[in-house]
Amino acid sequence: MYQYDTLDKEFLADRAAEFREQVVRRLAGEITEDQFKPIRLMNGLYLQLHAYMLRVAIPYGSLNPTQLRVLADIGRTYDKGYGHFTTRQNLQFHWIKLADTPDILDRLAAVDMHAIQTSGNCIRNTTADPYSGATAEEVDDPRVWSEAIRQWSSLHPEFSFLPRKFKIAITGAAKDRTAAKVHDIGLMMRRGRDGVLGFEVIVGGGLGRTPFVGPTIKEFLPANRLVSYLEAILRVFNRHGRRDNKYKARIKILVAALGAEEFGRQVEEEWAKIGPESDLPDTEIARIRGAFAATAFDTLVNRSEVFEAAKAADLGLARFARNNLREHKRAGYTIVEISLKAIGETPGDATSDQMDVVADLAERYGQNDIRVTHEQNLVLPHVKLDDVPALYAALNAAGLATPNVNLITDMIACPGLDYCALANARAIPIAQDIARTFADQDRAELIGELKIKISGCINACGHHHVGHIGILGVDKKGEEFYQLTLGGSGAEDAAVGSMLGPALPADRVAPAIDTLVEVYLRERQGQERFLDTFRRTGVVPFKEAVYADAN
Amino acid sequence: MKALTGNRLTDGEVVFWKAGAWVERFADAELFESAEAGEAAEAHAKTEQTVIVDPYLIDLIESEGLWAPVSYRERLRALGPTNHLHHGKQAEGGAAIEALQHASGAARSKGRVNLIKR
Repeated sequence: MYQYDTLDKEFLADRAAEFREQVVRRLAGEITEDQFKPIRLMNGLYLQLHAYMLRVAIPYGSLNPTQLRVLADIGRTYDKGYGHFTTRQNLQFHWIKLADTPDILDRLAAVDMHAIQTSGNCIRNTTADPYSGATAEEVDDPRVWSEAIRQWSSLHPEFSFLPRKFKIAITGAAKDRTAAKVHDIGLMMRRGRDGVLGFEVIVGGGLGRTPFVGPTIKEFLPANRLVSYLEAILRVFNRHGRRDNKYKARIKILVAALGAEEFGRQVEEEWAKIGPESDLPDTEIARIRGAFAATAFDTLVNRSEVFEAAKAADLGLARFARNNLREHKRAGYTIVEISLKAIGETPGDATSDQMDVVADLAERYGQNDIRVTHEQNLVLPHVKLDDVPALYAALNAAGLATPNVNLITDMIACPGLDYCALANARAIPIAQDIARTFADQDRAELIGELKIKISGCINACGHHHVGHIGILGVDKKGEEFYQLTLGGSGAEDAAVGSMLGPALPADRVAPAIDTLVEVYLRERQGQERFLDTFRRTGVVPFKEAVYADAN
Repeated sequence: MKALTGNRLTDGEVVFWKAGAWVERFADAELFESAEAGEAAEAHAKTEQTVIVDPYLIDLIESEGLWAPVSYRERLRALGPTNHLHHGKQAEGGAAIEALQHASGAARSKGRVNLIKR
């Protein structure tokens, strides 16, 4: 876990006090909305359909129980008793009052949290593998490097007014749980032949109206040169990124216009000028690493008789174990995913009471560590197998034991037109319809891994381009319609999906998904996932079935 | 027929213009038959910078003998989110709310277009 020093704490308190004064001035009419809007956005406060929305940064998706309890209490005191976890591992409150916001920022600052750089054309929160420090798959713990980036990029004066927002993701494992290839910069940790730690650097991925899987501009960047190299990329972007057209301002457009090779050449040129002086000294990296090394594991065998006996006696637990547990690097431990996709509920929402339960369970069974996934779930990364039965029982009692991680009902959905001022169509009710259609867990498990991602507009907060099945809400003469795309992936095999055909009205979406699944089950060979089958057969059988049905 | 709407500055609440004041229920909103009357109210509202954010006129249609916003987005604003029926103005229930829920007109919202242009 990152640790704030006195300077950090004082800064956050000052920043909250400054915003308090700015709110007073706005309410008194001393500053106009046009003057105030960029100020509130720099503090994560948007005005949406029904109220203000406050987006709280969760650095690389990592929380401690104290912080989660404060988020729960903010939800209870200032919102309607819940919060919404986002695809950037952050938390949004959707019913915030402007006049309450200074008090909320004080509450956050007291537990080393804030909403700075959750909006605006700056470097946003770094996405990291939610299994960091727990999975045996990782080359190194990406939180160490995410924290280095957090320190470097926070309030960086040169990069506070970029042409457009800027998002970085880091994965330490070959299995990508961060959507690195569709971030502005994706960093994939590698170990060189000589054992040196480094990154494959991918630049210019992105979603939105112009989706790209980012190209690699450097196969191997030594890890200790990370900061200077990021600085070089940001400098080239700052210099040449388009500021004349908001829709062409992201770095992906620049990389595509220049070509990856030329962009990479310009970065190298800039990097040579910067030199290693900007890089963090090894002592600082070691200090940061120390802050993440506190986890003490017991020496256990990799089989828990308590757990095995409980599984044999409880089919619900057995199903939960099949779908929501992941292998831990230590014998006798497991990674537990907590699905925020209960059937018929809003993807990514957790009530304040549920947040409190997770905080308690993290203290009791999870070494005080909680992670947020970009797929809008929570993770307890370090749980003893012996404790899983008790943990499952407590999660189940709180409505948090839905055994569907990576299955068809584990969907991403943005808030959509139910909340968002930019949306064209609702996303949440579509997710709810689909979840009800596939509520039968046996069938969901038979279908296997299938990632549905739903966005309420082309800005693609719901990552629809990279869904195995993507759903995009569009506005057809004022009516909500939905375009389906197939074959996308946000993982290590990243791909942008291709459009299936004409958009469908809302009530045809879940039946169409059902048809797509039937085609998959008919066509699949061996252990193929939906995505594998689609890649083998192409779009034709799927398209024929859906539109034959619609006609 | 038109109504004038915006979000209240202090809390972001969706409000509607009624004879020089702002009310929370769409059912209480002033209805403008003439374009001139609506535009005059809008012009005045734009001067109330410490009260309202981004006021704009919305088009209405008849629904169950009452008036409802044409745009689906505006009906959502007047009701609340469809995933939490106990959140927002719809929680109150009643004939006026039901008329909004049953309205079926659909058109682009001027408010959204303005927001994108900004």
